[in-house]
Amino acid sequence: MSATASHLREPLVTGGNPQLGDITDAIVAPMENKPSGLWWAAFIPAVTLFVAGFTTIGYQISEGIGTWGLNKTVGWGWDITNFVWWVGIGHAGTAISAILFLFRQKWRTAINRSAEAMTILAVICAALYPLIHMGRPWFGAWWFAPLPNMRGPLWVNFRSPLLWDFFAISTYFSISCVFWYFGLIPDLATFRDRTNKKLKKTIYGILSFGWTGSNRDWSHYEIVYTILAALAAPLVLSVHTIVSMDFATSVIPGWHTTIFPPYFVAGALFSGFAMVLTLLIIARKTQKLEHIITIGHIDNMAKVVLATGMLVGLAYSTEFLIGWYSGSNYEGFIFFSSRMKGPYAWAYWTMISCNVISPQIFWYGPMRRNLVVVFIMSIFVNIGMWFERFVIIVTSLNRDYLPSSWSRYSPTWVEVMEYLGTIGFFFTAYLLFVRFLPTVSIAEVKMVASWAQKDAHGSHHHAASGAAAAGLNPVPASPKEEVHHG
Amino acid sequence: MASAAHAETAATSDVRPFFVGTFREEHQILEVTTEARESGLPIHDCYTPYPVHGLDGAMGLKRSWIPYASFAFGCFGFFLAFSLQTHTQFVDFDWVPIWKGWPIIIGGKPFLPWPAFVPVFFELTVLCTGHLTVLTYLIYRRILPGMKPKIHIDGVTDDRFALALDPSAEGFDEEKARALFAKYGVVDVLTVEGKA
Repeated sequence: MSATASHLREPLVTGGNPQLGDITDAIVAPMENKPSGLWWAAFIPAVTLFVAGFTTIGYQISEGIGTWGLNKTVGWGWDITNFVWWVGIGHAGTAISAILFLFRQKWRTAINRSAEAMTILAVICAALYPLIHMGRPWFGAWWFAPLPNMRGPLWVNFRSPLLWDFFAISTYFSISCVFWYFGLIPDLATFRDRTNKKLKKTIYGILSFGWTGSNRDWSHYEIVYTILAALAAPLVLSVHTIVSMDFATSVIPGWHTTIFPPYFVAGALFSGFAMVLTLLIIARKTQKLEHIITIGHIDNMAKVVLATGMLVGLAYSTEFLIGWYSGSNYEGFIFFSSRMKGPYAWAYWTMISCNVISPQIFWYGPMRRNLVVVFIMSIFVNIGMWFERFVIIVTSLNRDYLPSSWSRYSPTWVEVMEYLGTIGFFFTAYLLFVRFLPTVSIAEVKMVASWAQKDAHGSHHHAASGAAAAGLNPVPASPKEEVHHG
Repeated sequence: MASAAHAETAATSDVRPFFVGTFREEHQILEVTTEARESGLPIHDCYTPYPVHGLDGAMGLKRSWIPYASFAFGCFGFFLAFSLQTHTQFVDFDWVPIWKGWPIIIGGKPFLPWPAFVPVFFELTVLCTGHLTVLTYLIYRRILPGMKPKIHIDGVTDDRFALALDPSAEGFDEEKARALFAKYGVVDVLTVEGKA
């Protein structure tokens, strides 16, 4: 065993040589201390938006979806734009957890927990839109789920991508929840054993399922975790594939393309990683976790943003190529007239500048390590990806085959408030998460920290065992006997 | 003291004392466990803050059987998706009330378009495998909401690694165990009561 590894790779946990107890202390600190002023400063506006947005949803359901700006030509607007945007954001969490886990990317350990929480919250926001788009969502169960009914029974149509979506998103949501909670169990036990407050001990005692740290439990646990990762990795890809099929299986120019599944998956990872960056750049600062979520992690995520941004750029140009090469007038019209120069050209060019041009700055290493630049870029990508969905949906719909039915679309205040409401919900729930649950996987960070120590003191392992064998213990043995009642 | 605790609890329940040594470092727990097993001391379990690689081998644990169960759950999920889709879209089983189908003619397309059924095959397979695998694990290891920990050893969910020997098992020798613990730099030697 040599010390070379530490020279080749940045340490995953910085700040000298943190002991295992220090890692617990750092991650658990926000759960033990009172929230800071900064936390309240974020929480109060988030709750306000949340309440205002959900009140608007109540208004929309009582009045009907006529309160939205949709019309006969543009039947999908902000609702589906926001749906796809949120689902896309919800992709990074499980991608980080599952795909990076299977590829043995150890840097995931510092960021996977909060990315998974982000996934769950984003999917809740996304799922809200199809629900409220139904107008009378209490009938939705029969439109989505294959439930026995009194009309024959008349079943849902399994040939429809909208129904595949129902299965994909509900599976993704529930598997993500299980994956997230399964990873939390050992960390909840850490907090249970640590806290002195009676109420907290009881609550975390219930939540930690009686975890003891037994290696017989760990042995199966790791296998089950790997199985979950192996299931979740293709699941991530399937979800946005199926979301893209909502468009791709139609015959609308600009939607009817076979590259949609990989294009949407790349876009989803792109926007998801951007949102993870937005949240973690703030969280690592306010929670004092800079030595665990290091600048190296930010650098890695910026590289993923660059790579997926280039994939998205490639998809945009492929669409143009096919618009020209296919010789289809309608396809060509959508891309060369409607998107580039049409009434929504401003949205199209916003998308191109945010998603394709600006991420190129990440080719330059110091920019990936400049937190201000990365933060601004992550916001740009969030905006750009929102516009991508808006452009796809609205520019394909607003000018259809019959010029007499061409129309324009702009959202009403109801749609704007509902969108802000989902953002409010997202941040409210995320802030509660950072307050009450360990935001970084304590057990997994300890594991990578221990490897880092082994790498750094390559010969330590053998030296210690040699010393032990010779009876020269590095740790003074002071055995004492007690009886614990467990 | 340990024997007193033993006598007190043995009659009443399955709670019994374990002879525990705690350590500060990962390599210590690996080495002490390996040697304990080689020298025939009865290992009850190890307790660690994170999964220590190599400890399964040191304890002599077999590879988990749960993946076989997962495969069965996956087959069940696939079967569920297959029967759900074919029965509701294609087959009309009048004699099963809940499965009564209503084949719909959609543009004269086939009633059994299997490629269109693939997404739901996949999703339900994943859904059943994931949930049932975790449930199997949690029930098998008795890790369930509100369960009390079977044993509590200070620090093992934080920064300690513990080896628990079973004093009631054959081959247990307290002096030998103490000497072994000391050899690998034990921090505390405790007798902790817990459920087997």
